[in-house]
Amino acid sequence: MSPRPKLGHIRRPQIIEAALATIYERGFSETRIIDIADNAGTSAATILYYFESKEKLLEEALTHSDEQFYAKLREEIETLDRASAQLVHIVERSAAPPDPLDDWTLWIEMWLQVRHRPHLRGTYERLERSGQQLMIAEVIRRGQDDGEFNADVDAEDVATMLSALIDGLGVQVTLQHPDVTAERMVRLCLDAAATELGFVPERRPETRQSASVAPIGAKAAKR
Amino acid sequence: MTQAAGRNGARERILAAAVRQIAGDGIDGVRIARIAMDAGVSPALVHYHFATRESLLAEALDYSYALAGDARLKDIPPAGATHAQRLAMMIDQCLPTTPALTEDWVLWMELWLRAVRHPELRPFAEELYARMRAWFADEITAGIAAGEFARCDPEEVADRTLALLDGFGVRTLIGDSAVPLERARRAVSASLARDLGVGERLSDPGPTARPQRTRARPA
Repeated sequence: MSPRPKLGHIRRPQIIEAALATIYERGFSETRIIDIADNAGTSAATILYYFESKEKLLEEALTHSDEQFYAKLREEIETLDRASAQLVHIVERSAAPPDPLDDWTLWIEMWLQVRHRPHLRGTYERLERSGQQLMIAEVIRRGQDDGEFNADVDAEDVATMLSALIDGLGVQVTLQHPDVTAERMVRLCLDAAATELGFVPERRPETRQSASVAPIGAKAAKR
Repeated sequence: MTQAAGRNGARERILAAAVRQIAGDGIDGVRIARIAMDAGVSPALVHYHFATRESLLAEALDYSYALAGDARLKDIPPAGATHAQRLAMMIDQCLPTTPALTEDWVLWMELWLRAVRHPELRPFAEELYARMRAWFADEITAGIAAGEFARCDPEEVADRTLALLDGFGVRTLIGDSAVPLERARRAVSASLARDLGVGERLSDPGPTARPQRTRARPA
């Protein structure tokens, strides 16, 4: 056992931020602990003191980016009166996240890691159930209670369907598929939600505009 | 034996070994030496055929897709099958329902990840996507023409169906305890059935078992 490293000014959040950026940029299998250490301005030993493995860093990075994304999204939807408007906002933000690091890249990494390393399944399920799907289910139940959405459907079922739909389309948007744009993704999701829940989605012009200025282009330029 | 595997050339053996190993360990876990050993050829020959990991992945995926296609052709719908029944079969062929389709699925996911960082792979990913989309859109168009399905935009419905297949397929593939294969199959089938106005399930008898809900279109 190595002696406890001098932690100094380095803290866990900085390492997690560095892990997030590094894995996003280079890919999980191309990332070495030393790359994350360089980006965080610390040593590999310090990182391994906090996180026992690279897998753990992927898990923490994804948890961190998910928590931030959904905390912000929660604040935003709380300013909206109606469940339908909240659902529209969730879909719009998912199609065009303000931070490009919130696209599907790290999720695809996670899916593949879980496939190749089944012991990560518990981590995946915790993340999967705590983010997008949970928030959508809450909004649907609220809309059902308010009489805005069809009360006969199972909120969990519809949330799972929308979540799967968002993931499937999100992958294509992340790959910058010329036909499956962020705008088309929003429309396909809202059409499905409207059919299931029996409401007419109303989109605010300003959010539609911001959804079309997707950070996807900015990301492409960065690469 | 499929036609492709029956040719038995070194190239095919390399590709078959690559599919197995990529599906098992991921593209980054693949060692050229192991593929060579598996295929009974020299590592130099593998390098000769496939200069980069990207080209190996693309060709292995194309090979795997062709094999899955062979399997699809064997699974011919019974004569007189409705378009809805054909679509139900197509859904099965797009989910990880067999070991071969499961391997194909892992490769498909590897392609996504690789294409994020290697844009030169995107046209290939788009081409595979376009084939799947045309396959579904053509069946939907035929069903509309036959009066079996309600009018809809076949490409839009195909896009939504493919996205659901991907979203549910991933969950099933990685063993999400909430999404066993049967749930994935049922969910995609129910959504497509509603899009086409044939009731709650594609296998439901008779067209338009209940009135189709009007699709709301955002202005």
